[in-house]
Amino acid sequence: MSQPVLSIVGVSKSFRQGRTSLKVLDGITLEVGEEFVAILGPSGCGKTTLLRIIAGLERPDEGQIVIHSKEPRVGFIFQFPTLLPWLTVVDNVALPLRANGMGWEEARERARKYLSLVGLQAFEDFYPRELSGGMKQRVNIARALAVEPIILLMDEPFSNLDPLTAEALRTEILDLWTLKVTSVRAIVMVTHNVDEAIFMADKLVILTPRPARVRGVIEVGLPRPRDRRSAEFQKLEDKVYELLSA
Amino acid sequence: MLPPLLVAALASTLRMLSAYVLSVLTALVAGVAMARSRAVESVLLPVLDILQSIPILGFFPAALLFFVSALPRGWGQEVAAVFLIFTSQVWNLIFGVYSSVKSLDPSLFDMAKVYRMGRAATFFYVCVPAARNSLIANSLISWAGGWFFLTSSEVISMGSEEYRLVGLGTYIVEAFERGDTVSFGLGMAVLVSIIMATYLLVWNAAAQQALGRRLPSLGPAYEALRDLVSKLWGALGDALVGLSSRLRVPRYAWRAVGAALAAYLAAELALLISGSGGLGAGGLLPTLAAVLAALPVSLARVAAVVALSAALSLAAAYACYRSERAGPAVILAGEVLASIPAILWWPLLAGLAARRPYGPYVVSGVIFLQGSLWYLFFNLMVYGLASLRREVEEMASVYRVRGWWYLRCVFVPFLMPSLAAGALSAWGGAWNASIAAEYVDLGGQAIDLGGVGALMSKLASSGDYAGVTASALLLSLTIVLFNKTFWRRLFKYVEERYGGGVE
Repeated sequence: MSQPVLSIVGVSKSFRQGRTSLKVLDGITLEVGEEFVAILGPSGCGKTTLLRIIAGLERPDEGQIVIHSKEPRVGFIFQFPTLLPWLTVVDNVALPLRANGMGWEEARERARKYLSLVGLQAFEDFYPRELSGGMKQRVNIARALAVEPIILLMDEPFSNLDPLTAEALRTEILDLWTLKVTSVRAIVMVTHNVDEAIFMADKLVILTPRPARVRGVIEVGLPRPRDRRSAEFQKLEDKVYELLSA
Repeated sequence: MLPPLLVAALASTLRMLSAYVLSVLTALVAGVAMARSRAVESVLLPVLDILQSIPILGFFPAALLFFVSALPRGWGQEVAAVFLIFTSQVWNLIFGVYSSVKSLDPSLFDMAKVYRMGRAATFFYVCVPAARNSLIANSLISWAGGWFFLTSSEVISMGSEEYRLVGLGTYIVEAFERGDTVSFGLGMAVLVSIIMATYLLVWNAAAQQALGRRLPSLGPAYEALRDLVSKLWGALGDALVGLSSRLRVPRYAWRAVGAALAAYLAAELALLISGSGGLGAGGLLPTLAAVLAALPVSLARVAAVVALSAALSLAAAYACYRSERAGPAVILAGEVLASIPAILWWPLLAGLAARRPYGPYVVSGVIFLQGSLWYLFFNLMVYGLASLRREVEEMASVYRVRGWWYLRCVFVPFLMPSLAAGALSAWGGAWNASIAAEYVDLGGQAIDLGGVGALMSKLASSGDYAGVTASALLLSLTIVLFNKTFWRRLFKYVEERYGGGVE
């Protein structure tokens, strides 16, 4: 494996529900190198919680997250676009940069660069309400890339799009990833879509039902672009489903 | 040398403006802090709940005494006046900011956290824009509330001492006392013009643009003002965001600031109470007993006033709703009437009060209504009418649901949530107005209708600050008791039955 980018070491997390405590993550340990990792698991198993812990949105009860970089920046592609309705597209992308000390003009310049990377250069002065769902999700992607992160986290990023738009965006993300035009060295995507995971990722991590533990890790190892109807793809899909339902 | 009327008008407008700016800034900081921090919320929410429904006028002598003694002469009265106007504007603004930030999609705050935006950027780019529309809607009410208290803040008598600040309120009251009808009329005309102008040029235009409500307004001036304000605010935000991104204030620093602020406020409050003569002092018991004895009559008046306010506001809302032409006129008339200061109604209606035996009751009723009607009126006009849905109107017209049945089964039920919210504010407002409505001393001719308000007015004018503060506290306690029992239940019922919208 290439040198590690992210280490998840013995992470556990419980949520309190009234008087009872509900354990969602139980000793998750995972090394992520310079690769695209998809985390799969039954719904409600705590995949998203794991991603939120990696992003620093929540603190683990036990264990720790180590990002092996001097500037441990992360980009987060939210499930919903999460854009501020009162800012234009370019300002939505520029805001995280501005808030971290960059001047507005420089921040907008950088934002424009990443907007053109996702094909939205013509829409920079639009407001979010004037965009379609797929375009809004592209802004979400541009914002995540514009902070020039080491790690890109994605929380079911295609689950709220129509099938055609979702497929187009999957290909675009893969292109950006394989062409290495961004600062991203590792991607961690949470999904419950097995087909999407095999289509995109280098490595699949399958979690058990709550409390989530790592049930299995599968290296995909198929050449890109992948053919969903190929025998290898189908075989892998069967294997993943077997692990998921075991 | 400027003519005195112009100076007075400028002074009053400036006073209003400073109180309003102070109110908006306070509302933003307090509202956002409450919505974002559970600790702040658990402290401030009950405190504000009490503050917004207590008779502020009753506490005013104590506050005035505090400011006058704490600050250099001249400044103390000025600050006290701005403070009183502020207390009449700020509560609904705070609640507006609080509820709009609280109801924001929580993932926006995740976004801010993931990208390490920090408090300043989250405040300026996420919270404040989210609160903008509710600030505008609430400003319609607050601006009128401010004018309503203007004269009470400019002319205050405390025992033998009387403070008078340069301003329109003082100008009009003095003209009346001199018997100078021309100056009195001129003063009133200037007052009404300023009120109308600010509504037409600023508030209504803002509400029309931001909320899409049809209100009588003139647009261009507002646009220039809006651009100016957003430029200033943007520069302020940009500077603070830039500064905080360089400083990276740690969490505990914010906590320390919060704790220091809380300690300071507590100390001030203690000073205020001890400055007002000490509540433990003897001789208060008879006063408190008198307050309790006077409660029922005031309670009956307040209840009647709230009921009448609700009926009048519903009628006005229905008129507005039915007629495109009457609507704007009704709203503008409401805005001007709502703003005419409390004490000015006495001189305006003095003739009536003196000539007829029932005169004082009519005048008192007008002041009571002044203090409470408008909360209901604006709630229905701004929020209530907006909640009527086109689908339901179409349904009613398809099935010919008209007249009484339309009112009973469509119009009133849809307005119920805003009617209840307005009624709660109107109830607090009526108690506050009782101090001005139940007792007045007009150049030696005193009209005393009895009740808690009259009692407190008399205590204030005899200089018994401890008595005023103690009775204001007792009255507040009673009001809060009602809020926690009667009003809470009413809200629950209305929310369950009418809160859902269209299925």
